[in-house]
Amino acid sequence: MLISYNWLRELTDTGLTPTELREQLTMVGLAIDAVEEIEGDSVLDVEVPSNRPDCLSHTGIAREVAVIEKSKVQSPKSEVVKTQGKAADLAEVEILDSDLCPRYAARVVRGVKIGPSPAWLAKRLGEIGQRPINNVADITNYVLHEIGQPLHAFDLAKLAERRIVVRRAQAGEKLKTLDGVERVLDTEMLVIADAEQPTALAGIMGGLDSEISESTTDVLIESAYFNPDSVRRTARKLGMDTEASRRFERGADCENVLNAQARCVELICQIAGGVATEDAIDVYPVPSPALRVDFRPARVETLTSVRVDESEMFRILTALGFTRIDGNGGVLSFVVPSWRVDVSVEEDLVEEIARHIGYDKIASELPPSSMSGEYQPTETSRRALRNALKDLGFDEAINFSFIDAAHDGLFQLVPRLTGDSTQDGLVTLNNPILEGAIRMRPTLLPGLLESVRHNLNHGTRDVSLYEIGRVFAESEPDNDSSQLPNERAALALIALGGATEAGHAQAKRELDFYDLKGALEAAIDAMNLGPLTFTKAEVKHLREGQAAQIALPDGTAIGTIGRLSESIASSYKFRQPVYLAELDLTTLLDSQVREIRYKPLPRYPAVVRDVTLLVGRDVAFAELVAAADSERVADYAGAKLVGTYEGENIPEGKRSVTLRIEYRSHEGTLRDEAVEERHRALVNSLVQQFDAEIH
Amino acid sequence: MAENQSGDMDRKNPNDAVEAARKAFEQEFERFAAFAGDGSPLTGLNLDQAEAEHRALAELRTKHLGKKSALAASKKAIGRVSADDRAAFGQLVQRTEAAIGESLEQAEETLRTAIQVARTERERIDVTIPGRRPRRGHLHPITIVRQRIEDIFFGLGYAIEDGREIETDFYNFEALNIPETHPARGVQDTFYTTEGFALRSQTSTVQIHAMQRRGAPLRMIAPGRVFRRDTPDPTHNPMFFQVEGLCVDRGISMAHLKGTVAEFLRRMFGPATTTRFRPSYFPFTEPSAEFDFSCFKCGGAGCRICKNSGWIELGGSGMVHPNVLRAAGVDPEVYSGFAFGLGIDRMCALMYGLDDIRLLFENDVRFLEQFD
Repeated sequence: MLISYNWLRELTDTGLTPTELREQLTMVGLAIDAVEEIEGDSVLDVEVPSNRPDCLSHTGIAREVAVIEKSKVQSPKSEVVKTQGKAADLAEVEILDSDLCPRYAARVVRGVKIGPSPAWLAKRLGEIGQRPINNVADITNYVLHEIGQPLHAFDLAKLAERRIVVRRAQAGEKLKTLDGVERVLDTEMLVIADAEQPTALAGIMGGLDSEISESTTDVLIESAYFNPDSVRRTARKLGMDTEASRRFERGADCENVLNAQARCVELICQIAGGVATEDAIDVYPVPSPALRVDFRPARVETLTSVRVDESEMFRILTALGFTRIDGNGGVLSFVVPSWRVDVSVEEDLVEEIARHIGYDKIASELPPSSMSGEYQPTETSRRALRNALKDLGFDEAINFSFIDAAHDGLFQLVPRLTGDSTQDGLVTLNNPILEGAIRMRPTLLPGLLESVRHNLNHGTRDVSLYEIGRVFAESEPDNDSSQLPNERAALALIALGGATEAGHAQAKRELDFYDLKGALEAAIDAMNLGPLTFTKAEVKHLREGQAAQIALPDGTAIGTIGRLSESIASSYKFRQPVYLAELDLTTLLDSQVREIRYKPLPRYPAVVRDVTLLVGRDVAFAELVAAADSERVADYAGAKLVGTYEGENIPEGKRSVTLRIEYRSHEGTLRDEAVEERHRALVNSLVQQFDAEIH
Repeated sequence: MAENQSGDMDRKNPNDAVEAARKAFEQEFERFAAFAGDGSPLTGLNLDQAEAEHRALAELRTKHLGKKSALAASKKAIGRVSADDRAAFGQLVQRTEAAIGESLEQAEETLRTAIQVARTERERIDVTIPGRRPRRGHLHPITIVRQRIEDIFFGLGYAIEDGREIETDFYNFEALNIPETHPARGVQDTFYTTEGFALRSQTSTVQIHAMQRRGAPLRMIAPGRVFRRDTPDPTHNPMFFQVEGLCVDRGISMAHLKGTVAEFLRRMFGPATTTRFRPSYFPFTEPSAEFDFSCFKCGGAGCRICKNSGWIELGGSGMVHPNVLRAAGVDPEVYSGFAFGLGIDRMCALMYGLDDIRLLFENDVRFLEQFD
């Protein structure tokens, strides 16, 4: 809000320069963004907190300045004007919905001459960013900025039966507001109507039909108090934000209605001529009671640690308009001034004192040390995971949590997110802000795919990204419908392009499935979890034959890994293979941490034998190893992969797998004949089980 | 032939045989003789040629000094020479052997050196070529800043907590003393699901859960994702990261709030950092304060980062409103507490000089590579 320094000085005789005011007001909670010099005046841009509508005027700011300077606020001076007649003889006011309008006052000025405002008035409004219209309209605007009470001037002649009816609009009723827009109203909206139709949107904007014009001679000045929530709702619904609505929706001063109206009427008579009625029609059936707040001065020191003299506390509160009441038994309380809608509890009074004492007077010290720090239980694992992935060449991505509904049904979700694998029960936003992004993501993959597309579009072709974030789905439908959605942490990886960093002393190699799998295994290893098992699977977003389900050592499925399906890849126009994985991180982090136990070092050397088997292409390496493991051959110490081969010299549908089998005894170095015997038995068994040939 | 020669030795002067052996060697050694000198003939010899010459020398050595050489035969014949001549003959054989050996030795030594030099030359590498390594990854700048914040508060005795991102109205607003009519509750500002739940608009939700679960006294921070219905622009995103802190105990005052925030900022931005508190308004604190810290770039003199004010606005704070304590089951007559909150994204923007925070969620590798 803009404040004119000269105008402010008419209300409180401040000795502070604009620069000093900037500093001082900022330190009592009215931050000044900027001070601008305009033709012999300074204009301060004050950032008024939303709970301080009382500061949305020059008088309000003057009040704070007066407390700072221990001075006083002077009421604006008007010339005494001639008055004649009773308002009730010229107009009628009826409030039908007093819940939305507890007070409405109308006063009439007859015989005004509408014309441009005098120069001083136009200049003053111009300085604070207000466009001059005509003298009467400008005066209502002037008083609003001076005192804070929004006012409205009607052309009395245009009010049917010279009646004001404050009521809710009827459904579908229409009103053309001053900005020329025809508004369609509903029954939640409060209007000022005449005997026939709405003529203003209460507390927001007047109607075009009853606007002051050059031909206007008699004006009715409205000064009222409207329910803040009602004004806010109506303004939001209609997409309006006006000087009046901004004040009413934060809370106007119900007790200042007549005072502001009087000031307005006096200025009109003075500037536009005319004769005012002696009184106003003031409909205020149930005066709102003043609020009293109990106050224990000791609370100031308790909450702020600053010792303040009681006399200083009382000076500050009194200067701000609070009235002290000494109750029975030494109970002290303060009556809250009608303009301070933000004060209701003792702590509010403490704040009033603290901010005028100055927050800089409060000491700065650490609380006594009594507690020990605590990371989240999974933080160590999460950091190990992130650091491992970093070392493995993955950049950490963060995407928005909301995604387009176009992704629905395209991805297999991590287990345990939805009850079954159907795509029902996704969490949907009622009021999205990014176009199309209405789903709370049930998978991290669409975000990462989008990130890949972004990078490819910007010429980066080697992309390895991972993301850790929540995925969402509705909780089980058979549960209570008021239950919050499921939230699980997920980990997703995506990789494409070169396996090595380009521009280095190394051969270029395109990464493949085993690069992503290896990275995932290494990362899980770094968390001291797993080992994970991978079994071939059909996964809807992955290419058939290059997809696997991932499970924990106990067999619990936690996610999938593989190459992106052709159909999704082509929808993103990806020409190169893209590999991706997604895991349920919540379950992974809850899984059994590998126990570290020392095993004695072997005393005798191992003997290794390689065997190359020609097997069907559908025989999995893991199956061969599992078979070798379960054979329980004496002194068998494990099987490892040497390599696989398909192609020349290998029959169609077959491949050769070379295994390295290790034998080791704890009793002594194995003799060749013994190893030979064991190895032959093992190999024969594998040959039989897998219909293999020794190659 | 050898038989004949040895047979001849008996009859002829054995010295002649030695002399013949010497001559034979010298003749064959002639083309290597230059190597035994300063090695200049080696110039122009490449590694392969040098190695071939080295092999040829080795053959020469075998031929003239080996077991089947003429000199070896002469040696065997020493015993058969007459006693008078034996010593002189022996010396002749030895001298000849030594001379041949020395010639070979010198040539070999020169060649060995030459070979080593040539090999070193051939295996010379360009040490400026970038080293071999896997692709290097990077932590997201938000993770880097969040972990730093967590480490600092861990050191100050705080528990790090997190909670749900989709919350009930009670935890997101009501327990935080945000009245039903507050604009923040409106559909303009807060995301709602079709079931009527709110995407948390601040991590203060976690504070209520933590107070309910842990009771007082309590010290905790809650870093995490929050959502507000802002259209993306250089300084706004509809999703961002925040950290909120809470300290509840007997006798906690605003002095402790100031001390804690100031200590945090000193550890974050350096020991010279100063902090300023200004009165402000938040529904969940009373009294409330915003805090600024002295610009880490210019130290308060005024620069582009602090918009020439010397101060950088960072966050909100205050004494926990008694209604909030009550909502979480803590008696405000016994306990008091302070709370503070600040944006991690904003800290990132400040620390790294980011002029458009939308970059944080675009995941452009060229951006991500610049951190840690």
